[in-house]
Amino acid sequence: MKRTMPAAIAAATALALVLAGCGGEDEPTDPNAPVTITLAGWSLSTTPEFKTLADGFHATHPNVTVELKEYDTTNYDTQMTADLAAGTAPDVYVMKNLKNFYTYQNGGQLLDVSSATSGLSGVSSVAAYQVDGKAYAVPYRQDSWVLFYNKDLFAKAKVNPPDGSWTWDDYATAAKALTTGLKVAGAKATGTYQHVFQSTVQGFALAQTPDADLLSGDFSYLKPYYQRSLDLQAAGAQPTFGTANTNKLTYQAQFGKQQSAMLLMGTWYIATLLKQRTTGDADTFEWGIAPAPQFDKSTTGTSATPVTFGDPTGLGINPKASKAKQDAAKQFLTYVASEDAGKALAGIGITPAQVTDAVTQTLFGLQGVPQDDLSRFAYAKHTIKPENPVSKHTAGLQNLLNETHSAILSDSTPLDKAITDAQARAKNEVLNQ
Amino acid sequence: MATMLRTRPRHRRLVVRNTVAGWTFILPNFIGFAALTLIPVVVLFYMAFTNWNVFGVADWVGTANFRRMWNDASFWTALRNTLYYTVFHIPLTMAAALGLALLLNRKLRGVAFFRTVAFFPYITSIVAIAVVWNQLFSPEYGPVNAFLRGLGADNPPGWTTSADWSMPAVIIVGTWRYMGYYMLLFLAGLQTIPAQLYEAAQIDGATPWQRFVNVTLPGLRHTTFFVTVMLTIESFKVFDLILVMTDGGPGQSTLVLSQYIYQKGFEENQFGYASAISIVLFAICFGITVIQFMVNKRRNS
Repeated sequence: MKRTMPAAIAAATALALVLAGCGGEDEPTDPNAPVTITLAGWSLSTTPEFKTLADGFHATHPNVTVELKEYDTTNYDTQMTADLAAGTAPDVYVMKNLKNFYTYQNGGQLLDVSSATSGLSGVSSVAAYQVDGKAYAVPYRQDSWVLFYNKDLFAKAKVNPPDGSWTWDDYATAAKALTTGLKVAGAKATGTYQHVFQSTVQGFALAQTPDADLLSGDFSYLKPYYQRSLDLQAAGAQPTFGTANTNKLTYQAQFGKQQSAMLLMGTWYIATLLKQRTTGDADTFEWGIAPAPQFDKSTTGTSATPVTFGDPTGLGINPKASKAKQDAAKQFLTYVASEDAGKALAGIGITPAQVTDAVTQTLFGLQGVPQDDLSRFAYAKHTIKPENPVSKHTAGLQNLLNETHSAILSDSTPLDKAITDAQARAKNEVLNQ
Repeated sequence: MATMLRTRPRHRRLVVRNTVAGWTFILPNFIGFAALTLIPVVVLFYMAFTNWNVFGVADWVGTANFRRMWNDASFWTALRNTLYYTVFHIPLTMAAALGLALLLNRKLRGVAFFRTVAFFPYITSIVAIAVVWNQLFSPEYGPVNAFLRGLGADNPPGWTTSADWSMPAVIIVGTWRYMGYYMLLFLAGLQTIPAQLYEAAQIDGATPWQRFVNVTLPGLRHTTFFVTVMLTIESFKVFDLILVMTDGGPGQSTLVLSQYIYQKGFEENQFGYASAISIVLFAICFGITVIQFMVNKRRNS
């Protein structure tokens, strides 16, 4: 033991030196010199967005090559954290959601990219990545939550499809009417499906309730939203939380295979649904998207702007990248939030950071996308609030609210008690840290 | 140089050579052990007294993490749930494993087949187990509740969807999964008990129960001790099964210590606090094992 310790220390030191050597060193910068920057991505074979961005950028900046580095989808943040800590992370990496943005930013793992955002005044979600007036990432996607609905099942159940005027009560009434109507028509489908994510309840409650604030530790705003969910599952208008969990129901199969007539989901599902229709994983039926049901009448109707939620997906720069790579990476970041990149992304069914008329035009030109006006309206017009406000307490609060979510929807804890418990835990375990 | 070597005592050279040879033999294993276990464990003890956030910032905070734990209701919930799991999992698994071992220690037709079957759960992927058992436990459509309804239960439990029944559900699956492995250990133990002892007991007119209590159990004492220690440690650090089966839910009803460590560390990046909880878990496992050793020693003497 004693004998090997010095050797072990020497080996560890050597390893550390080698790893440190991978970090950045200053090189003379010539804007036209050929540069290769690396970009993190996941499931590259089924997620074409990274390649789309890399190719699109290379077309306008031929001297910069963007090389993709693949990560695992579910363990992305864990793997990225490890790579960043070890100094082996790619030059540009993705913020999958805002929950972990704080960790990266606060941990000093993101370069100040304010200069790259100067020309992006039209992109509202740029603000999500600002800390003390400086930008640390640039959004390239901005999904928002909408209501997907199956027009065929609405017709079968003889229920009026959404017209943009729905509050949550209208939605609940329709879900029940659909369930009854479908039963009469001999179909087994439920009126709606609420996936097990905490977002399906809490995201809307936080975004739409006036004065709701996650970081305040006052969660009373959740109550009406949970009451409605509990009521819908008790009435059989949606599969219960328990059933969805124990049978590992997927929202893709639930809506795509016409098991439910409505589905609240983010706009990323558009691309999935289009793809699954061609592979046979989803049936072919008439569908549409409508704005998410609203808190009250003040934001309903196609002349108003509906309120919904969604975190942007952004790209940030590894501060360990060399100066030349940093400069090229900043240009790349300006590109990914631009309208050109937006159109390229819309061409593969993805909702970019900036939804302009041209982007909407491109997306609705895809094979299989519904052509009605309400779908266009729902896609293009809304106020999107972030699901995860950036703060050091966000991850802790969301984790405890996720436990609250399962306690309420499994009927394990009465609603009022669950909310009181969550508030007490937030105060004693998270906000005091 | 050569003269120096010759003047050295022979046995000294032998000792050095033997030591070098010994280290060389264990080196491949030891490097892996040191790099992946020993050094991280030592670092862990340091990190527990810092506020390390994984990216370099690790300021010394003294016992702050431990004081925080004392007032952390979730930590106590996790500890309570871990004890709940342990208190039921250990005796149930022991009884099931010993029962199976006794049953399969005879000359039955196809005994190898049944032994293999009993061992199957242990080598099955834990994710597959979680998915299948979750479906079996499904309150509305699952076969478990269909069976219970058939027996006349009007209100069968909600199992993994209910805060009261989720822990029993996990314990049942945990027992089912591990009994095959411990059965194997008991089987090995049973084979070492000399058959003459049973014959002698039989001649003395001992009943099967008396033979079990006075011959089998004492004969298995070393195995039982080993199984208890392994089961205790395994129960306290139960993680994967719960993570994939209930993810600690509903609410916090199946949140156990190792999952809480995972949550604080890998989900909230509070590696300092997570390290402190790991130390507590380590201390519990260590303390209980020491007690078990002491009890065993006293019984031996």
